[in-house]
Amino acid sequence: MELTKNITLGVYLPGKSSIHNLDPRTKIITATIMIVLLLISRSYAAFALSALFTGFLITLSGVPAGYAMRGLKPMLPVLAIMWVFQLFLFKAPDTTVYFHWWIFEATAAGLHMGNLIILRVLFLFTVTTFLTLTTSVVSLTDGLENLLKPLRAIGIPSQELVMTLVIALRFVLILAEELEKIIKAQMARGVAFDRGNFIQKTRKIFPVFLPLFIGAFKRAEELIVAMDARSYTGGKGRTKMKTLHMGRVDLGAAAVMIVYGGMLIYIIISTEPMI
Amino acid sequence: MHKLIETNGLTYYYRKGTKDEVKALDSVNMAVYKGEMLSITGQNGSGKSTLARHFNALLKPGQGSILIKGLSTANKDSIPEIRKIIGMVFQNPDNQLVSSIVEEDIAFGPENLGLPQAEIIDRVDWALETLNLEDLRREPPHNLSEGQKQQVAIAGVLAMKPECIVLDEPTAHLDPRGRREVLESAIRLNREEGITIVLLTHFMSEVVHCDRMLVMEGGAVKMDGSPEKVFRQSAEIKSAGLDFPVASQVAEGLRREGFKIKPDIVRTEELIDCLCQLKS
Repeated sequence: MELTKNITLGVYLPGKSSIHNLDPRTKIITATIMIVLLLISRSYAAFALSALFTGFLITLSGVPAGYAMRGLKPMLPVLAIMWVFQLFLFKAPDTTVYFHWWIFEATAAGLHMGNLIILRVLFLFTVTTFLTLTTSVVSLTDGLENLLKPLRAIGIPSQELVMTLVIALRFVLILAEELEKIIKAQMARGVAFDRGNFIQKTRKIFPVFLPLFIGAFKRAEELIVAMDARSYTGGKGRTKMKTLHMGRVDLGAAAVMIVYGGMLIYIIISTEPMI
Repeated sequence: MHKLIETNGLTYYYRKGTKDEVKALDSVNMAVYKGEMLSITGQNGSGKSTLARHFNALLKPGQGSILIKGLSTANKDSIPEIRKIIGMVFQNPDNQLVSSIVEEDIAFGPENLGLPQAEIIDRVDWALETLNLEDLRREPPHNLSEGQKQQVAIAGVLAMKPECIVLDEPTAHLDPRGRREVLESAIRLNREEGITIVLLTHFMSEVVHCDRMLVMEGGAVKMDGSPEKVFRQSAEIKSAGLDFPVASQVAEGLRREGFKIKPDIVRTEELIDCLCQLKS
């Protein structure tokens, strides 16, 4: 049960590539544009271009591709279930029926819908993981704080929200470690997590999460006290140790994004959607 | 000596007004003097943590009062000032570090104070240097040992330049090495930086390095004095459920065997000196 090894979301791999050196605001905006473009992509050609581009970015960053994808492993069963659901349950008029049994129909539309959803999830995951792998949490949140600052004018407490995110990200690993400890403690007392059918296995999960949640609340309470003791009173009146600067590399990134975005939008408009 | 913290009949109840009401502090009168290193010890539930939480206004007195440099914690407006004077380090380092990078975490306090950027950078550098953490400045806390994490927590408080740092059982989760390092840091901050230290601890090996100690029992201060003076009262020490420091246990045993060991030995170094003189 090595949970911490599989968590790549929120983990940062330090490096010196031009991707690492980008201003976090550039990276956040770029990732957002990529995600929006992916959500409007409906053709295999568009996904192929996105895959090429993502591959190019990963190569450029020097992040081992295997590492970037490792976090996907625990998601695979869920993805498979989602794909099967779409294949059999998605209904569309005028579509080829591959297979028919009772109320279930495997259709061409369902197949494409399943593929579309899987591709979207895969890319969403890869893009966000890639963002956190190449951007330290701190510069990520600095960038986010900076980008969201205008929202303060309309009454959204952006700095506090970002602080919440900072803390959440710091505690991901701590809670994963704690979960591992709880599981091991229960295994030591005879719980066999890998035995039994699906329902029996699921039932064994509840006694694991209860102590985890209680522990998390306790930690939160202690953290609040500690933050209070360090004079935290919200975003108002805070200053920052670091300020952000955009440079030449960010200009380059903007140019690359314009070319990529233009190409992708052209493909999205001109090609036949898969569904 | 100048009083930094002074309590007068300080009483505090948990869950006041319910049937589970617990009197955690029972008219405590005590003071912390500027520049001293004070330890507060006592069994779990003796009220030492509750008392410490009054020092920087995390708790407000139920009855009685507490003054920090003349400022009352009951007055809401003086709380920011009080928290600038009194810094606090807690037991579990994981639950008090905010950021995923050491230097950013140390900057958290100064950032909260709204200091100018250059000042924050100076203070972070100074805190890292003072606690010998320069090599760790870019590390994420989860790569650090528990002892190192606690040093980072101390640095985070130090960067706020408090006059007094209260350490609430900072070594309870640490291995012997981490414990030694944290204690050494506390002693160094006291001797070299002139910061008043209040150390809450269960370890007598830490208590003996303080100038003065308080023993708490049932929400009240039972003993107050230098470690030499307090450990002389063996009956009271036992009734408070405390141990004797190793050195005084060994000294006592040797005395019983007829060796001439001078009284009031609490620190290991003193015992060694004394034994060396015996030999010659």
